[in-house]
Amino acid sequence: MRKGIVRKVLILSVSFLALLLLLQPVHVNAQRTIKVGILDTYSGPPAVYGNDALNGFKLALNEINKKGVLGAKIEFTTRDDKFKVDIGLSMAKELVMMEKVDLLVGTINSAVSLAVSDYVKGEKIPFIVWISKSEKITGEKGHRYVFCTSENTYMAGKAGGVALSKKPYVKYWIAGDDYEYGHAIADAAWRNLKALKPKVELIGQSWWKVGEPDLIPYITAITSAKPDAVIFATGGASMTNALKAIKSTGMSERIPIWIHTATDHAVLKPLGKEAPEGVMGTMDYHFYHPDTPANRAFVKAFQDAYGNPPGFPAFHAYVTAHLIAKSFIKAGAIDREKFIKAMEGMKVDSPVGEVEMRACDHQAVLPMFLGVTKKVPQYDFIISTDIVTVPGKEIMPTCEEIKKVRGKS
Amino acid sequence: MTFGGAELICQLLVGISRSMILFIVCAGLSFVLGVLRVPNIAHGSLYMIGAFATFSITKMFAGSTGFWIALILAPLLVALVSLIAERALFQHLYQREHLMLLLFTFAISLILGDLVKIVWGAEYKSVSAPALLKGSISLLGASFPRYNLFLILIGPLVAIALWLFTIKTKIGKISRAAAVDREMVGVLGINVSWVFAIAFVIGCYLAGVGGALVAPTVSITLGMDHTLIIEAFLIVIIGGLGNMWGALVGSLIFGITHSFGVLFWPQFAIVFPYIAVVIVLLLRPKGLLKSVW
Repeated sequence: MRKGIVRKVLILSVSFLALLLLLQPVHVNAQRTIKVGILDTYSGPPAVYGNDALNGFKLALNEINKKGVLGAKIEFTTRDDKFKVDIGLSMAKELVMMEKVDLLVGTINSAVSLAVSDYVKGEKIPFIVWISKSEKITGEKGHRYVFCTSENTYMAGKAGGVALSKKPYVKYWIAGDDYEYGHAIADAAWRNLKALKPKVELIGQSWWKVGEPDLIPYITAITSAKPDAVIFATGGASMTNALKAIKSTGMSERIPIWIHTATDHAVLKPLGKEAPEGVMGTMDYHFYHPDTPANRAFVKAFQDAYGNPPGFPAFHAYVTAHLIAKSFIKAGAIDREKFIKAMEGMKVDSPVGEVEMRACDHQAVLPMFLGVTKKVPQYDFIISTDIVTVPGKEIMPTCEEIKKVRGKS
Repeated sequence: MTFGGAELICQLLVGISRSMILFIVCAGLSFVLGVLRVPNIAHGSLYMIGAFATFSITKMFAGSTGFWIALILAPLLVALVSLIAERALFQHLYQREHLMLLLFTFAISLILGDLVKIVWGAEYKSVSAPALLKGSISLLGASFPRYNLFLILIGPLVAIALWLFTIKTKIGKISRAAAVDREMVGVLGINVSWVFAIAFVIGCYLAGVGGALVAPTVSITLGMDHTLIIEAFLIVIIGGLGNMWGALVGSLIFGITHSFGVLFWPQFAIVFPYIAVVIVLLLRPKGLLKSVW
């Protein structure tokens, strides 16, 4: 008797499931969606940048998917790389093998980007780097399948080096985060400065571990050495720590300082009026500059959607999404090789003007904004002022230089 | 490169001031280790919660008073969180082996880390020092942040308070006794469960104090717990497990080798505290001072 009931229930549920399957809507002849795999850091201190980029990407997709791309939509799947190379690499493989994505984008960590870049080279899958700043990505380690839509250490370093070469300082100290980005930015700035002004002299260096909480011992030690100027090569949470230490020791009043991304809003906002003034910084994007209709429209749309103004990762991700969409439209098919062909030399309008994806090295041509931190009455945080815009073409390596460094490796 | 005496003294004081925060956190960790035998990895998370709570409380009040109120309330909030954790979870696990406790507290630290992300978000937070302690003073010609001077004063106060607590108060005495022989304390008719709860909460309260004190000197971010907990365990080990004065000595070794390393050999400063740890452990594997284990 009991057996019979179980059997009945089983048969009923199986037929119910079968019915459900039959009732499933069937997409006839619909173009398949384009799947983008996003690999970035969504935990720990860098999460603030990862989330910002994701929001910028989502905002752009909302615009893009209204019209569609090749009669379909662009979708995405995310994975957290936890800022670690091994995790990043396995997540990239998961996105490619399990999620079957058409292309990969992401990563804030240069080391992760380089590892993933090496992987996609073998798998022939396009990978667009949107936050990492190592110049190796599209320089020495560049190849057909990797693109970069963020500014890199070469560009930032050159912008800083050129600016510093016009100043009277001779004795320099370099200090920064002891990882790929820190060393790359410091090298680039110093190389350019030394080339433009051979008499500059490096009197010392300090390197602290990433995430070092207390930088005051470093700042007091550097101040004791009495350099004419200091180049800091730091970013993210360490940057906030550095600026706090610089302010509390009064260093910025005694010694001129240049830091790439010191004028980043994500860094300056939490400090409020407590950020040091007079620090020279270069930056790739400000929501308050340039004050153009395009930038204002982007900032407003972003602010309405997410409640805060876009940071630089959102800007790069926004540009990346539009580059992807426009390139697929030009390619005319969801085909990786055709997509790459279309990406090369592709131009899109962006909040800071037209951005070109340079064909010879797959590096986006982006301007740099050189400014000085200052208190202004209209904001309750410090902003970058006296901004000088350096066009991307002036600070990028030439295609010949790229050929040379790539030939070497 | 040559340095004058002023720079050396300044660097020494900077090292000591950093040691004081480490000491306060490590004293709590060591206390819990000594009395409860729990290697609490979540101690770092409580320190992080202390810092984040300081941020929120400072925000609530205008002006400099906010920070002072936060300095009192934030550690109490941390103590409350730890009391809940102790009564709900920890008290059932004291009998387990150390590896289990290590895994358990590690899990708690991950959960607390995610809770912090949910409550406060992923953005960097910053607390400014109260007006009284802002900026720097000139010390023999070198500039020294006022806030660090304040830290140098507060460290010994906490040490003395903790020492008096363990020596003079009844609960302190019972805690010390429980650290040596908990069965015996139980046999004497003392409610060991509540002694443990109080000891645990006091240890965690100190993590909260450390978090509140560190808030104005750093950017408050997710992940600050992990950076700290590794250093804290090393300090507790070189000082002698469960020994409060050991935590003080360990913190000073850690902070001072670090700040002098930065001054003399900046490229490799990171390794100096760890070299000191290795040397101590080679010479005295049980720690510098007497371990209660």
